[in-house]
Amino acid sequence: MKEEKTQVADIDRSLYDFRYEEDERDYLGSGITADIIKEISDEKGDADWMREFRLKSMEIYNKTPMVEWGPSIEGLDIDNIVTYIRTKSRMNTDWNDVPDDIKNTFEKLGIPQAERESLAGVGAQYDSELVYHNVRKEVAESGVVYTDLESAMHDERYAEMIRTHFMKLVPPTDHKFAALHGAVWSGGSFVYVPKGVRLEIPLQSYFRLNAKGAGQFEHTLIILEEDSYLHFIEGCSAPKYYEAGLHAGCVELYVGKNATLRYSTIENWSKNMYNLNTKRALVDEGGKIEWVSGSFGSHVSYLYPMSILNGRGARAEFTGITFAGEGQNLDTGAKIVHNAPDTSSYMNTKSISKSGGISTFRSAVTVNEKAAGSKSAVSCESLMLDRISRSDTIPVMDIRTDKADVGHEAKIGRISDETVFYLMSRGLSEEEAKAMIVRGFADNVSKELPLEYAVEMNNLIGLEMKGSIG
Amino acid sequence: MEKIILNKLPVPTFGWLKVNSAERDAAAFGTGEEREVLLADGSRAELSGGRSVFEVTAAENEKTSAVIYISGSEGKDLTTNVKAAAGAEVKLVQVYENSGPAIGSVNADIAENAAFELVQLYIGGKDTVSGIYADLAGRNSCFKADIGYLLDGDEKLDINLVASHAGKKSQSEISVKGVMRGSSEKTFRGTIDFLNGSSGAKGAENEEVLLLDETVRNKTVPLILCAEEDVEGSHGASIGRIDEAQIFYMQSRGIPVDKIYELTARSRIAQVVSKISDKDTADRVNAILTGGEEDG
Repeated sequence: MKEEKTQVADIDRSLYDFRYEEDERDYLGSGITADIIKEISDEKGDADWMREFRLKSMEIYNKTPMVEWGPSIEGLDIDNIVTYIRTKSRMNTDWNDVPDDIKNTFEKLGIPQAERESLAGVGAQYDSELVYHNVRKEVAESGVVYTDLESAMHDERYAEMIRTHFMKLVPPTDHKFAALHGAVWSGGSFVYVPKGVRLEIPLQSYFRLNAKGAGQFEHTLIILEEDSYLHFIEGCSAPKYYEAGLHAGCVELYVGKNATLRYSTIENWSKNMYNLNTKRALVDEGGKIEWVSGSFGSHVSYLYPMSILNGRGARAEFTGITFAGEGQNLDTGAKIVHNAPDTSSYMNTKSISKSGGISTFRSAVTVNEKAAGSKSAVSCESLMLDRISRSDTIPVMDIRTDKADVGHEAKIGRISDETVFYLMSRGLSEEEAKAMIVRGFADNVSKELPLEYAVEMNNLIGLEMKGSIG
Repeated sequence: MEKIILNKLPVPTFGWLKVNSAERDAAAFGTGEEREVLLADGSRAELSGGRSVFEVTAAENEKTSAVIYISGSEGKDLTTNVKAAAGAEVKLVQVYENSGPAIGSVNADIAENAAFELVQLYIGGKDTVSGIYADLAGRNSCFKADIGYLLDGDEKLDINLVASHAGKKSQSEISVKGVMRGSSEKTFRGTIDFLNGSSGAKGAENEEVLLLDETVRNKTVPLILCAEEDVEGSHGASIGRIDEAQIFYMQSRGIPVDKIYELTARSRIAQVVSKISDKDTADRVNAILTGGEEDG
């Protein structure tokens, strides 16, 4: 009979916690200084406008205070964070050309296998730079562009498009870590889907931060033209260190008229990471953004994907789950701005707190004066698995027109003893019963995920629930 | 001019929403010497200006009820301290009648097996900032709030309600119903805070807002803070116009659209008025709401 562990204090992270030693000569140095930023620009051969943009962002970063809400980031000392690590390899389109240690990392994470079996294209970033990017031939022939952002920036076909979109949705003035991102960003993906092209199989970018005490600042820019469709999957992980690590990425999504973009993320950073990520979508007339977001890792998270519904009939859906365990303070949620008539939004989130973990659901729904006929519904549920954890729900609705229909509901509670008793009377152990209830609680999210991610999420929940009794 | 920060949200959120607190010019509200008033059971008090502190106290296993009218165009600042000893029941009705600038706060200490019922009505009001803090310290303590508001023109209302559950099996039930017209502005912050140790506690909060003009501005901020496993908390909010199916049904019964809105608005507030057991007070409120006309 297969032997099962009976006591697991934490998610089994062995899949993610392997690591290779870095050569510290590749580090550009810690902290945010003009010299480091100029050096990053030199490494990348930035155009003049980007050099200026980085330095201007640094000025904004220095002037901008940290927000006065959210979890503490006292343990994060930016002066000790390595913002850029020189790549050992140029970007490749064949895994065999990727250095062995990096290739092995992605093999262990299952990325090449997923690419062969179920993806239209893959991008893989290791520390500061993309090391692999490839897209299926037929997808490229349809006019879809999927490449690393920096190559695209140096390609005259896309340079102007990127210049007119880059950090326009999330300007460096947005908040302190958006400014930091503007100063030191590196890596990330660029996707362009032409008018009428519907990509039925997903693209995936995977971000791996291997280095100790480092930051990852990748920038994802996706532009969907009219009537197009894309499912983009983002995965991220890092091995655990004692030193704090930082992820301050930025995602900007432009969804054209009647286009649909599904953006799925499974975030599983290690528990020494500060995940201060910014994601934003601008949706045109009749377009739709679908966010599917699973937050499992990180020591501290600030993550609230924002949808700006800017064209008549634009729609947004946000489905999210957050699982906060020991030592984690995960502050997650979403923001939706209704900025045009007849727009609609739906937010459905679940959060689970266990072993002293803190989970906060934070949201904002704004219906502006010109958004007559708009509708919004928010539903959030929280589950407390013990009395040493914490779960807070902080939603805000700001409604500036009478021609709106806005609903909100939230619930917090525990696993009912009656349900556990019923399942135990059917032969399940208490632990199995509780794990089954938690899986059922998270079912709305797992149904929205690609199959292999749904399986992974269920496994993570199962592992976390083991040893939860007593 | 001295600025004062009022109605702080117990846990702050996104700054750009401007809901973390209410900032006001102190001079616009009640000034002068503070007046202390003890309200015995069955009291009716009226405040039309200045600063007052009202004390409403119920000794062990006693019942006390009181009514406070807040009216007049002068600025005013009132604090109402409520103490419900073990097994006591306190009912407080506060009616803000087309009041000038007002700062109000209700601070309630609710002991074991005690109950505090609050009924508040805001009928107009140039600029009202109202804080309600219920400390459910005792086991089986209970807090029930029924709040109604009717705003028009450029009237402003800012409410911050916090039900703090420390006692085991404590209960809170908060119901807010409002109607907004003109370019009125309202912020309602409602927090149910389950402190560690409040096992068996239950809290429920609901706000229904009827918006009747395109220039209104409504902010609803319903928080649940939870540091205890064995609790049940919920909140709900419904903001907007009347449901189309409901309008269609009423039109099919021969009621014109304007009348449908008028009736619905009146019925929302009437649900709160119905919680006022003191007949004179209910009559006075109904007279204001109907402008002296017979209802029905």
